[in-house]
Amino acid sequence: MNLTYMFDVLVRLLPALGLTIALSITALLIATPIGLLLGSFRASSSSSGIIARLLDVYIFFVRGTPILVQIFIVYFVLPALGVKLALFWMGVLALVFNSVGYQIEIGRAAVQSVAKVQWEASRALGFDDRSTLFKFIMPQAARRMVGPVMNELSQLIKASSVLSIITLFELHKSAESIISADFRFVEVLVVEGFLYFLFIYTLSFFAVRLERRLSSSDGLVEQR
Amino acid sequence: MSFDWLSFWEFLPRMLQAALVTVQVSVLAVGFSCLLAPPLTIIRLIAPWPARVVVGVFVEIVRGIPPLVIIAFVYFGLPAIGLMFDGFWTGVVALTIVGVAYAVEIMRSAIESLGRGQREAALALGFPVWRTYLELLFLQALKRTLPPLTNELANVIKASALLSVISVHEITQVGNALIFETFVVAEIMVQMTILYLIIVGALSTLSRKLESRLV
Repeated sequence: MNLTYMFDVLVRLLPALGLTIALSITALLIATPIGLLLGSFRASSSSSGIIARLLDVYIFFVRGTPILVQIFIVYFVLPALGVKLALFWMGVLALVFNSVGYQIEIGRAAVQSVAKVQWEASRALGFDDRSTLFKFIMPQAARRMVGPVMNELSQLIKASSVLSIITLFELHKSAESIISADFRFVEVLVVEGFLYFLFIYTLSFFAVRLERRLSSSDGLVEQR
Repeated sequence: MSFDWLSFWEFLPRMLQAALVTVQVSVLAVGFSCLLAPPLTIIRLIAPWPARVVVGVFVEIVRGIPPLVIIAFVYFGLPAIGLMFDGFWTGVVALTIVGVAYAVEIMRSAIESLGRGQREAALALGFPVWRTYLELLFLQALKRTLPPLTNELANVIKASALLSVISVHEITQVGNALIFETFVVAEIMVQMTILYLIIVGALSTLSRKLESRLV
């Protein structure tokens, strides 16, 4: 273990960490609204409709297959269909495709956790279902999603390492290329692991605090 | 892109063989995880502090690092300390490390969610600490751990796809190689997907059966 070399590796890996963060956060920003929307659909509609069925199949697929397979599907199938995307957006798309499958459930749970009284009160005041959902239920649900969604961001950061397979030079791919150039794996892997660990732990540290603060200002919803 | 059944059947035997490897790696990794997690959880909870801290730090580090990086660690690390494993066993070790870390965390939080009353009551009745944990708390917690544990073990099976990077001939590696050999994409993708769904589905069916048995 050579500390100067490790510091050198750290500096070389920082841009790659930036790419990892950019990939995960972009994917999260796209996937979360979709998850909330589809989740509230699942929460409010019966499970027999055709769209509900399709969503079930989609969720079953995403949860039952490795992200690597999903990445391959985006990577191989899109070009075959004539869709050409930059590598970055292919990576984002694969992550979104995966993450929505998990976030639908987060959204559904959040919407369902908002007390029924809220629906009834809003209806009594003369709002129709749609504006009740968008004006009153969703904002409250969104607040409840903060914790699980931050958790999902950690999952995305870890999942983004798999994008190294399609030669996206995020943190893991860059570390790999440094290893194969310098043949010093201990230092590189320790620095790489340290960067992932540091980022994910800072994230979950703030997630816990944010969640606590949001739930303490969430008085109305607590009573069921 | 039309679906070619001929190549579908042509590739199926090789893919099934690969599926067998995936099943073997998964069964071994899941099995070792289930064997190692309970004692480590007990250590995490009641052992003297140095052991407790070591297990805790291990769990936190593994949970904070992508499985792919863990695989790289094991792949480069084992030979460096003089252990020569082939890809298959390297994979089993790596996936076991991942599986155990998450399983310990799940079991720990399940036992802690039981509340202090149980523990205090057992200790007040003169049960030794380790028997309290092993016979009372652990067995009760087991039922609560089953759903999240199954989820996590399904993740371990899915992470076995990552072993394709260290050229273990499992589903993803073989499928990928076939795609680059033959440029047949859809048929192979469909096979990969179905095989994974079957394997992961088998695990969750098994766990559901076990859960209904435990009630």
